[in-house]
Amino acid sequence: MSKSLVAQLPTGPAEPAQRVPTDWTTGAMQGRIRRRYAAERRFRLMGLAAVTLSAGFLAFLLATMLWQGIGGFTETRVTVPVDLGAAKLAVTPAQLDGRGADLALAGAGLEGIVDTSASRAYGKDGDNLLSGGAWLTVREAIKADPSLLTRRATFDLPVASPIDVAYKGKGAPEAEAMVARLTPRGVLSRSLNTGFLDSADSTDPTRVGIWGAFKGSLLTMLVTLLLAFPIGVLSALYLEEYAPRNRWTDIIEVSINNLAAVPSIIFGLLGLAVFLGTFGLPRSAPIVGGLTLALMTMPVIVIAGRNAIKAVPPSIRDAALGVGASPIQVVFHHVLPLALPGILTGTIIGMARALGETAPLLLIGMRAFIAAPPRGLTDPATVLPVQIFLWSDQVDRGFVEKTSAAIIALLVFLLAMNGLAIYLRNRFETRW
Amino acid sequence: MTNRAARRALHLALAILPLLAGACRDQANGGGGGARDQISAVGSSTVYPFTTMVAERYVAANPDAKAPVIESTGTGAGMKLFCAGIGAAHPDIEDASRRMKASEYKDCAKNGARDILEIQVGIDGIAFAEAKNGPKMQLTPTDIYRAIAANPGGKPNTAATWRDVNPALPAVPIQVYGPPATSGTRDALAELIMTKGCEAFDASAKPLAKSDPDAHKALCTRVREDGAYVDAGENDNLIVQKLQSNPAALGVFGYSYLEENRDAVNGVAIDGITPSYAAIADGRYPGSRPLYLYVKKAHLSAIPGLADLLTLYTTLWGPDGPLVRRGLIAAPDSVRANAARVIAERIPLDPAELH
Repeated sequence: MSKSLVAQLPTGPAEPAQRVPTDWTTGAMQGRIRRRYAAERRFRLMGLAAVTLSAGFLAFLLATMLWQGIGGFTETRVTVPVDLGAAKLAVTPAQLDGRGADLALAGAGLEGIVDTSASRAYGKDGDNLLSGGAWLTVREAIKADPSLLTRRATFDLPVASPIDVAYKGKGAPEAEAMVARLTPRGVLSRSLNTGFLDSADSTDPTRVGIWGAFKGSLLTMLVTLLLAFPIGVLSALYLEEYAPRNRWTDIIEVSINNLAAVPSIIFGLLGLAVFLGTFGLPRSAPIVGGLTLALMTMPVIVIAGRNAIKAVPPSIRDAALGVGASPIQVVFHHVLPLALPGILTGTIIGMARALGETAPLLLIGMRAFIAAPPRGLTDPATVLPVQIFLWSDQVDRGFVEKTSAAIIALLVFLLAMNGLAIYLRNRFETRW
Repeated sequence: MTNRAARRALHLALAILPLLAGACRDQANGGGGGARDQISAVGSSTVYPFTTMVAERYVAANPDAKAPVIESTGTGAGMKLFCAGIGAAHPDIEDASRRMKASEYKDCAKNGARDILEIQVGIDGIAFAEAKNGPKMQLTPTDIYRAIAANPGGKPNTAATWRDVNPALPAVPIQVYGPPATSGTRDALAELIMTKGCEAFDASAKPLAKSDPDAHKALCTRVREDGAYVDAGENDNLIVQKLQSNPAALGVFGYSYLEENRDAVNGVAIDGITPSYAAIADGRYPGSRPLYLYVKKAHLSAIPGLADLLTLYTTLWGPDGPLVRRGLIAAPDSVRANAARVIAERIPLDPAELH
């Protein structure tokens, strides 16, 4: 048996030996080798160049934004002595408790007193030195410590926008002169601008904050998530697990893919016509913004969801059915939990896109000036990217760095969302 | 382990489903038909900085009031929203950088907003500007008309440089960055500068305004579309930047932008008068125009704080007031007094005055 097998083998080593071994030393061969290595190196270099170029663009964007915007997180303050004891404000300590305090202090002319103090300390244009909101800082201090009303105290008050711009860089000539006069006296200082993180829009760049727009973004995203996620996941499950394969399913599938590619401004027009026009929902409200963005995000979630569900191996379904699970138990106990990391990643990426969206929100009126953060889903609000757009159009020079600072805040928010998507994927992903 | 964690995440996701129903209920309550307790204003981007400033002071003075909502839509688009009806779903105030047109009033009246207060808040100048290192132009309305009109004198515009328009001007290419057609600033450019230049250049234009308004429009105020006039959108800061990078170009925008960017751009003299506060306030500068607020009378008693906001406006628009520091040009005393009386006595506008 084995003998016959051996007999069928090629008749000996002589046959391969007839092939002459490749002679690698000839000039032509060496040339070919060089060309192959060169092609390899060229490709690697081109790929590296492409990556470097895109990383360079990103670095350029981040660096310019940081360079211009980091100043937006700080504010310039000037030390002003205010003698509230001598000013004899007609305010009783009892009035400082509770809701009437703001009105009582405003009515007693606190703003005038602060301006006069600045003029007394820094010459007759001293009141131009202070930000329009400087007296509010004093007001808050008095509310926190009513004993200030009876004595002399020094406050670090925010300066007006032209002085702020001049102190941080290049400003208007008069402001530069003022800064040059004050700097040797050591009364100007820089500190963290906490107001930028916790107040709303304002007409004065020294008093603006992103909290109003940020809260508007959060409310809008909440509505979007609550609508788009369940509807998107349920559609994906139905289409993948239950829908019969026929012409109608194909049409729906093509429509969803098309919907995901529709320019966002079209959704804005739809929102304007349907939610504002037909349903009569309030203009500029996060609920309408959320509904509009949900329409835009849903197809993305459906597509990501279907891909994730498709990636669950059929053996899991068969095994579950085999041990007696009902189809709905198979879906909710096995398929969906295994597909969830993929679905969540898709959802977060869709939400990040919705977060950066401006065009559809402009159409439904979320571009208004609102000096207070929204208190609910139907309160007028704006969102971060629209706030950036609005500030870029402002007359005052101080808004340039505030615009960049708001962009930094938006980028940090987006990075956090994308980071969350990556974390969820790594944490829950199963490999087969 | 991972599987259980994923299932917990799933349960969480399903738990938020019922909240969806809550969101839907919320949506039903927020319908536009009900009452509204905050002031809503729409309209011109030129008046926007002033109204926002007044709104901000209004909120600072009344800590319990809800912040007014002010949208910058452009005068024309704002008029459409403003005139769509009365009631909580429609804005209370229209910021306008030109007077309401008779056709717009008709639209308003048709939708129920018959009584409207007209309040002149101040004056604005439309300023022509060039970069600091620009060619230092001295223009007349006729030069501008001949340079940027689509059909100066009834013939298609072929002028490529300013010298083609007027031999006294330098041979720099005509390039003007200006506002889009929906902007009140553009209307003012058409009305104050181009119509004036047109009627000075072509004597047949003046009678045409009455006999054939459409032909007048085509002759006098249509702007050329071959690239010499660049529509720069509502973003006036962008125009300032373009001027800095292109010193040969001219820009058209509201006077407050010129004031704020004095170190980057120069005003261009028209008829020998450079745009300045004094020249615009006393009407010597040809490009000055009044700014208005339009307010629905029915809303004054329905929307809390609306009357207070208007009264606050009257205290801020004086020559030494904060609005002037922000770039507004104060109206003459008699105009301000009259506007204050309109607010105090709630005198509606007489539609016969509009045209």
